[in-house]
Amino acid sequence: MFVKASVACAIGLALGLWASRAILAGGAPFGVVDIGAWGVATKAGSLEADPYTRASLERSGEIPLALGEGLQLVARVDDAGRPLDARCAYRVGSRTPAARYWTLSLVDRDGLPVDNAAGRYGFRSSEILRDADGGFSVFVSAKAHAGNWLPIGAPAPFALALRLYDSPLSATAGGIEKSAAPSIVREGCA
Amino acid sequence: MSLRERLAEAAIFLAAVAIVGALVHLIVILVIPVVATRDAFARLEELGLVDETIALPRPSPSERRFPYADPALASAFCRFDLAAGPLRVTAPVGRAGFASLSFHTRRGAVFYALTDKAATHGFMQAIVVTPAQLRALAAHDDEDNPPQDLRIVSATNEGFVLMRAFSELPSLYAAAEEQVKSLSCAPEPMPK
Repeated sequence: MFVKASVACAIGLALGLWASRAILAGGAPFGVVDIGAWGVATKAGSLEADPYTRASLERSGEIPLALGEGLQLVARVDDAGRPLDARCAYRVGSRTPAARYWTLSLVDRDGLPVDNAAGRYGFRSSEILRDADGGFSVFVSAKAHAGNWLPIGAPAPFALALRLYDSPLSATAGGIEKSAAPSIVREGCA
Repeated sequence: MSLRERLAEAAIFLAAVAIVGALVHLIVILVIPVVATRDAFARLEELGLVDETIALPRPSPSERRFPYADPALASAFCRFDLAAGPLRVTAPVGRAGFASLSFHTRRGAVFYALTDKAATHGFMQAIVVTPAQLRALAAHDDEDNPPQDLRIVSATNEGFVLMRAFSELPSLYAAAEEQVKSLSCAPEPMPK
């Protein structure tokens, strides 16, 4: 009986630790609002963040944006729900939710920029090449592409981060229409 | 022992494992913020002293301390400790581009933020106080000539202020960096 109880405790301990690690490694599981392929942790920087979000931030060292400053949307999948793959090419566009400025950048699993020969980690709304109708397309691929090319620097899982600065949506992140967020379309794989 | 008894015993065993596992998981998640030694504040602490303005390095693949930092933004911070008195924060806004100040607790959560839209005469300015300091300041306020300062109450003595400035073009990043270096955090004397 005693041996069995100890074994149960030991397995439970290992399971609990493993689960905590596994859950936090994938970012905070709660309080993330999905807008198409994008996710927004609306309460990340606030005092009301849930314990998982807090624990996740404490581990990563990230300094989150406050709601009054802007919003950060992160996509780990394309519009069809497939994980972003370094062997594939993607087209991101052509609109973003309203904001004074926005930036789109490519990060690795840990949220850090990925080294690439072009030295290009992201685009700003103020520097991007636009179509005649004011829309834009960013080409995310390992191979160079004409126009706004965002290089995939390493053959590893990556994510796209879209930041909206001074956005009137900040306070109502849950209310962003799916159609307002940029689409992420897979255009082919090597 | 019958099959039924064995099954019952196995079920109790599994339930015990699940309960212990769930308990351990809950405790870990709740304890991490209390014992974390690599959180944002700890990382900032390594970079400089209280009240000192320190520019953060430009986000790049080799700069691994602050994930999800935007490479288009320059940032600088100062840590504060209100035990010694209130803190006056002053930050200039640029001619163009977005700039913001965010006020964080020791644990990293934001308790206040403002952008360059709230700037007056080209500066974002605020005084960070504890609830007790706010009461002391308010007791000395001149009712006919109320003070113009924005007073932000911090629930904790320790924390940090982060300034961000947007660069509209890569070539303007250096200017944004100069702008955030002008962030000033100075102790504010209490009225006698």
